[in-house]
Amino acid sequence: MSDAPQVQNPAPGATMRRVVRKHHALVRLSHWAHAALLGGLIVTGIAIYWAAPVFTHPRDPRTGSRDHVLDAGLAISRALGEQPANAAWLYDRLSLGTRDLARALRLHWAFAYLYMAVGALYVIGLARGGGGRALLPRPSDPQEALAMLRYYAGLLPMAVLRRPWPHPVIHSKYNALQRAAYFTMPIAGLLAVLSGWAMHKPSQLGWLERAFGSYDGARVVHLVCMLVLGAFVVPHTLLAVADGWDTLRSMVVGWSARVREGDDGRS
Amino acid sequence: MADRDMPAPRREPADLAALLRERPEEVVAQPVERLRAQSRRDFLIFSLGAAAAAVGAAWLLPDRNRTRLFGRGAAAVDGLLGRVGLTRPLREQVLDRVLAFDDQVAAAMYSEHRLVRTYTRTQVTPLRNNYHGRTPGPEILPGWTLNVSGLASGRTERLTTADLLGRFRAHEQVTRLICVEGWSAVSWWGGIRFADLLRAFPPAAGARWAALTSNVSLDARGRPEPYYVSLDLGTARHPQTLLVTHHLGQPLTLAHGAPLRLIAPVKLGLKNIKALTDITYMTGEPPDYWNERGYSRYDGI
Repeated sequence: MSDAPQVQNPAPGATMRRVVRKHHALVRLSHWAHAALLGGLIVTGIAIYWAAPVFTHPRDPRTGSRDHVLDAGLAISRALGEQPANAAWLYDRLSLGTRDLARALRLHWAFAYLYMAVGALYVIGLARGGGGRALLPRPSDPQEALAMLRYYAGLLPMAVLRRPWPHPVIHSKYNALQRAAYFTMPIAGLLAVLSGWAMHKPSQLGWLERAFGSYDGARVVHLVCMLVLGAFVVPHTLLAVADGWDTLRSMVVGWSARVREGDDGRS
Repeated sequence: MADRDMPAPRREPADLAALLRERPEEVVAQPVERLRAQSRRDFLIFSLGAAAAAVGAAWLLPDRNRTRLFGRGAAAVDGLLGRVGLTRPLREQVLDRVLAFDDQVAAAMYSEHRLVRTYTRTQVTPLRNNYHGRTPGPEILPGWTLNVSGLASGRTERLTTADLLGRFRAHEQVTRLICVEGWSAVSWWGGIRFADLLRAFPPAAGARWAALTSNVSLDARGRPEPYYVSLDLGTARHPQTLLVTHHLGQPLTLAHGAPLRLIAPVKLGLKNIKALTDITYMTGEPPDYWNERGYSRYDGI
């Protein structure tokens, strides 16, 4: 993928089109690679979690389970009337499945090293393209975030009432809600990597393990990072699709055809 | 010089704010043809990447997931992958390389001088007996010796726990044992330093590994199944690597490896062999029970 379009001397008589530079090539590359690797890390990670869940309760004498995920799987399987009920129901659907720890670990390490490499590319892309500045929080964020929440809350009722419901005027690349999300994601990714290393090398990186409080502290942070990153994917995908083809395309080609004339419109 | 009289330009804090302030989006005029060509190329790269990710996922997917996902089509997927060279043996080879790389990273991070975190006795947590097979019975205790071979002397030393405790200084430590499965336990251990045994009975020249074996280990049905691990001598020399006879101030129980076990807190629990009977020093890397079952072989943590 190339950088955003360069201004060149056009051939005389060429039809010109004004476009907005959006995302650096490395940001686009790492965005899509991250999506794929995150999926791989989650399905292998949950299979690893099965071997020794961190959130446990005293062993249930009837099921032999200490694990809330097994319990929930069993409940779903029973509700669906499966015979016999399958306690691994959730693990089978969210992960590679149970009883395959060695394989899950091998794949998790492979994806984890790639994940770190992709994270480095993302940071380089943000720095070289200057896109990082658009992600930084700013004082006006709380107020703007409220305006955006109000807008989203009213979107459907106003559509039903056929009343005009204009998008708040945004003078930056992202609105405050997007900025909060896009700022949080790299931090969650970084924390996932750090807590991963704290769990992976707690003896050599004792200071890192301590930074998470304890060994299990690092495990909990790792899990929470997975939930945050995973929870981000759904609304992010929905909103990007809802925003339209131009937005989706910009994450592939790097530019957008939505040129703001003055500052009168939304991006 | 006039310059000398000028105040030096001072970097104001505002400079940082200005540096971090979002720039207005850059609008550029481009020939439509060029944009089109660029889009074609970028979408082609994107499609190739997406296809590679899909093929890679199908290839890396364990067989049972492949069957679950593709049903009867699994064989066809298998055939297609095989035709482009993405076979099962290659998959295992690649994942073995990943494990080997991760082990190299672990070995590079290791230092004999870096001590692991220690805890107080009040921080001890329950320790589970994670014997893979059945726990050996008390019949292993009478006449038990630790057999040490591969020595510079050429002899095989047969040492009882009384020999070990009589000859070497006792050490105690409260450290965390971490299982590859993800659970961990803080335990209070007592025993002798492996380093002291190495000094008293030096290995043959060129030895770099210790093969540690428990030949009293049992499988799940109670049949003899030796358990064996490889240990690099760098780890064996670590001051917190102990040959342990005591747990929580009492002689080891059978569940936790009586009469002698290894505690190497710089390694995953699976290296911390219980009911240790044999130590053999070698120049080459000895086999490792869990490495043969798909886990890494260095297991440095």
